[in-house]
Amino acid sequence: MNVQNNDTPLIEVKSVSFAYGAKNTGRALNRVSFFVSRGERIAVLGHNGSGKSTLVRILGGLVSPSEGTCLVNGTDIQEMDFKELRRTIGMVFQDPENQIVAAMVEDDAAFAPENQGLPSREIQARVDSALLRVNMTHKQDSSVAALSGGEKQRLALAGVLAAKVECLILDEATAMLDPKGRLDIEQALRELHAAGMTIIQVTHQIGAENFDDIHRVIVLSHGSIKWQGTTWEFWDKAEELGFELPDEFRFRKYCENKGLSFPDDFVNVKAVLDEAANDESHSPAKFKVDDLSFRYTDKSYALRNIDAEFLSGEWLSIIGRTGSGKSTLVQHLNALYKIQEGQILFDGEALPQKGEEVHTLRQRVGLVFQHPEDQLFSPTVREELAFAPKNAGFRKQELDEAIIYGLECAGLPREFLDRSPIALSGGERRLVAIASVLSARPECVVLDEPLAGLDASYQRKILGMLGRLRDEGKTIITVTHDLDMALNYSDRILILRNAAKIREGRPHEVLEELMNVLDPEAWPDVLRISAEIRKANHDFPLVYNYQELIACISQT
Amino acid sequence: MYFTNVNLGQYIPTGSFIHRLDPRAKLFSLLLIISAIFPSKGVIALGFWTALLVLAVHVSKISWRIVLRASRPVMFLVIFTLVFNMIAASWGGNLGRGIRTSFFMASRLLVLMMFAVLLPLTTAPLELADGLDALLSPLARVGFPAHESAMMIGMALRFIPLLMQETDKIMRAQLSRGARLDQGNIFQRVKAFFPVLIPLFIIIFRRADDIAVAMEARGYEGGEGRTRRKPLVWKMTDSLVLVMCAVISGVSFIL
Repeated sequence: MNVQNNDTPLIEVKSVSFAYGAKNTGRALNRVSFFVSRGERIAVLGHNGSGKSTLVRILGGLVSPSEGTCLVNGTDIQEMDFKELRRTIGMVFQDPENQIVAAMVEDDAAFAPENQGLPSREIQARVDSALLRVNMTHKQDSSVAALSGGEKQRLALAGVLAAKVECLILDEATAMLDPKGRLDIEQALRELHAAGMTIIQVTHQIGAENFDDIHRVIVLSHGSIKWQGTTWEFWDKAEELGFELPDEFRFRKYCENKGLSFPDDFVNVKAVLDEAANDESHSPAKFKVDDLSFRYTDKSYALRNIDAEFLSGEWLSIIGRTGSGKSTLVQHLNALYKIQEGQILFDGEALPQKGEEVHTLRQRVGLVFQHPEDQLFSPTVREELAFAPKNAGFRKQELDEAIIYGLECAGLPREFLDRSPIALSGGERRLVAIASVLSARPECVVLDEPLAGLDASYQRKILGMLGRLRDEGKTIITVTHDLDMALNYSDRILILRNAAKIREGRPHEVLEELMNVLDPEAWPDVLRISAEIRKANHDFPLVYNYQELIACISQT
Repeated sequence: MYFTNVNLGQYIPTGSFIHRLDPRAKLFSLLLIISAIFPSKGVIALGFWTALLVLAVHVSKISWRIVLRASRPVMFLVIFTLVFNMIAASWGGNLGRGIRTSFFMASRLLVLMMFAVLLPLTTAPLELADGLDALLSPLARVGFPAHESAMMIGMALRFIPLLMQETDKIMRAQLSRGARLDQGNIFQRVKAFFPVLIPLFIIIFRRADDIAVAMEARGYEGGEGRTRRKPLVWKMTDSLVLVMCAVISGVSFIL
């Protein structure tokens, strides 16, 4: 053990730089210095490509800095004993699947203490306590394959806690989770921090769920520290630094400025919502789903008597929990699932189920799966974009035009055509993947969680693109957990629960049903705030848009 | 699902007598059983082994439905044996005998395979890996990577369901983009599969990279100095089962 007094920071980063490869073509990190004290909880904020992943790997002793030093408990991390280092710093990464090594829950949680060479009884005690701390005790005998995404990430966290580390580094650890999963992790972190754990959270955005718990924020941009300060100071600077504040905080700030206290001052607000121009859409139905049912081999229903219409020139969002039948429904639209019962009309004609007609259908109805960037396979973007139109029979000039069309829809410059998809950033790969479906010029585009895991700037790009495609007259269908997107961007919402349709309607018509179907943690901040005001004041309308909320309040 | 109905190495915990046996005992017994079934010639011996298989499945408390589903991947091999032998045997002219022998050989293979399928069904992946590790460890002295091989098998068992899901998703995505995975002659089909295989390999390599980092972050340095949460404990019952298997195998040679 090294000399440790409480004045030595737990981690001290001294002028650390890092460059990938031999050529000094731009550094991933450039003279970064900061320190982390014992028991602190800090956030390192940065957009994609800011160097935060590199910083994580350096802090974890997984790569050595090109210049500078990183001290842990006063010792250079490079000279530290491997086992000692692993007992000090634990890391949780983005994808839970890539951190779990064993097929059974307890076996995985035991991995780190087994590596430390502890006696069996101590290992079991560590496993039990770690699973308890992440609230996973009830799953101890379960197989990993049977866990949800959020449960897997909590298991990954338990696997690190079992090593009895002093400091946790989380690299975008909640980015792939649904709202419930995210909240469960936050809950576990809050308790760990209260028990004295030092936590460094590396992320591209601070959510409302952990804003109050974080002491200090370090903003990383292009490999350098752009700003650092307390969370409260960050609050005022956030927009200037290029980060969006959660609506809940914008609202708190608003109340603070106006001297209002929430929710007491809103009891007597009488607000009327400006009814949005409620012109009934006259556009023709692209798809008419009629009494569609689908059963799995074990006879349980994936879809039950679904009726729905998807219109041309309309953006529809399908909302429901995992397993509600959303993806089964949309995969019927291009015949990836064959119709068992009921029927689907496409432009008034029965949806083809086999033969060459299915290929024509798949050209007309494009499906973008979740994380579509994982499906890229071509050496160049040009070939990637050519795949779908070529399969659809586009040749020569028609094909070239299709490629350019896809590229322009996604807002990518021509230079991209000769680049390799693998060499692009995550956000760029997502755009290329979407473009590779659009290049076949589909009339209808279905996207499963198109914004998942992207930072705000790429999210805006994709939202803009979908809006433009809708205005071109295409049918846009998004399958999502993201209520902010569904409410603020799509024209209509279809709600599914347990394989059945609950409601279909314009965003403001379906708010109550949405709140019934989804847990409060999945509600957008504004909706939650208005629901809370409404509890005390029945005249207050349910709203989901921040401007609308403010407009309702200022009507008094 | 296009590609997820294969249940390779899916552990089904029931806490039965067989589940509680030491994995080394199970591995050894399986070796004995296989080497006894392979050379068996008579219908009596086959009936004897079938009865034992029924008994083993009963004791394991795993339903036949699951055992049969888990055996599905080997059914191809069984059917191939059946057809191939039938053609080969009836070539000689005696169709009746040809059918009889080929059915016998196929059933023998089926019984053998189903014993083998019971092993991953009744043994947790990590135990299986630990058992292999222990059995292979004498080879480590001559330079064979015993621990690494066992670790690899354990990891493979963990990741098979995930890779199945991923393959399914990529296939669906490429079909959506108009890929013709199920048309044309064998060369066209193989070529059509590249858009599935390439992303799959990229995913596997990227995962492997991330997993290696995550394992290092959790202090993994190879087998040296590692302890176990549940160290393998050889019990009296394990010796008994092993002796019994040896005796039964011996008896079956006489039949």
